[in-house]
Amino acid sequence: MASTVIGAGITIEGELTTDDDVVVLGTLRGRLVAKDAVTVEQGGAVEADISGGPVAVAGSVTGNIISSDRVDLQNGAKVIGNVKATRITIADGAQFKGNVDMDV
Amino acid sequence: MAASTSTVIGQSAFVRGRVSGEGDLEIAGRVEGDIACSGEVLIDTSALVAANVSGSRIVVRGAVKGDLVAEDAVVIEAGARVVGDLRAPRITIIQGGLVRGHVQTAGGGAARPRASSAAHATRTSASETKARPAPLAARPAAQRTPDVRPAPVAARPAPAASRPVRPAPEIAKAAPAPASRTNHVQKSDPRNERSNGGSAARHAGPPPPVVPVLKKGTKAVQKKRA
Repeated sequence: MASTVIGAGITIEGELTTDDDVVVLGTLRGRLVAKDAVTVEQGGAVEADISGGPVAVAGSVTGNIISSDRVDLQNGAKVIGNVKATRITIADGAQFKGNVDMDV
Repeated sequence: MAASTSTVIGQSAFVRGRVSGEGDLEIAGRVEGDIACSGEVLIDTSALVAANVSGSRIVVRGAVKGDLVAEDAVVIEAGARVVGDLRAPRITIIQGGLVRGHVQTAGGGAARPRASSAAHATRTSASETKARPAPLAARPAAQRTPDVRPAPVAARPAPAASRPVRPAPEIAKAAPAPASRTNHVQKSDPRNERSNGGSAARHAGPPPPVVPVLKKGTKAVQKKRA
């Protein structure tokens, strides 16, 4: 299926709901609900709660991340918010402030 | 700086809010809100857009409920259903595209529909279209077909008849011969009865608000209705 790509110059203010995977290179403010993978690339900024499958962050996220799978905070990531996932990796260089709930 | 990546709103995506920015935009899903983009906006076949769209160039293949304003051109391709105004220096409506709304190419001309629409109808695509004259009174000025959830639009203005409908633009075809493309819209347009020579009573319902063409043999005395 087609994936949703939010390009670098684009700002979405509102809700984005999708069944596919999402790649964010631009800005998203509001809510992001995906059933599949969510990738916030470097340069992407998400000021929203993210809910989805596997989430990979290399950009900036201000909001909670609720994942049904895994969350990867890569180098360059800046996450301010709580993370709820079953698996999580925080790479060297990632910045993170928030709670981690791994459903233990 | 790297060129803006093109943005794609996938087929299963639903965006409710405002999409703005630079770069090209391709919409294959549902969007509700506002779209303001500096590049080309492509509204694909599976797209359902309930938003005003503005961009430099807008190509529509899906369903749109909202105004389309472009700096360069608006292209409505076959399969497109648009309910809303079009405003751009160049407007193309390909056969098979369905539009209901006001179409305006020149910035200056005001929206005064004129009786001599036939003469204008034969102009080529990049023309300003003013279809049938508005029957003054009874029609509220900016009435648009309500609740057209783009999916079932399928270009049939459902309860047709007495509901005032904005004229569908006729591009590059003679006025008298209704093209199949806009045929259904014309049929249901009560004002059209005038140009059809009073083929009234097609719809059993209240008489159209327009002064109907007097049929041959009409007496001066109005018959009393029971």
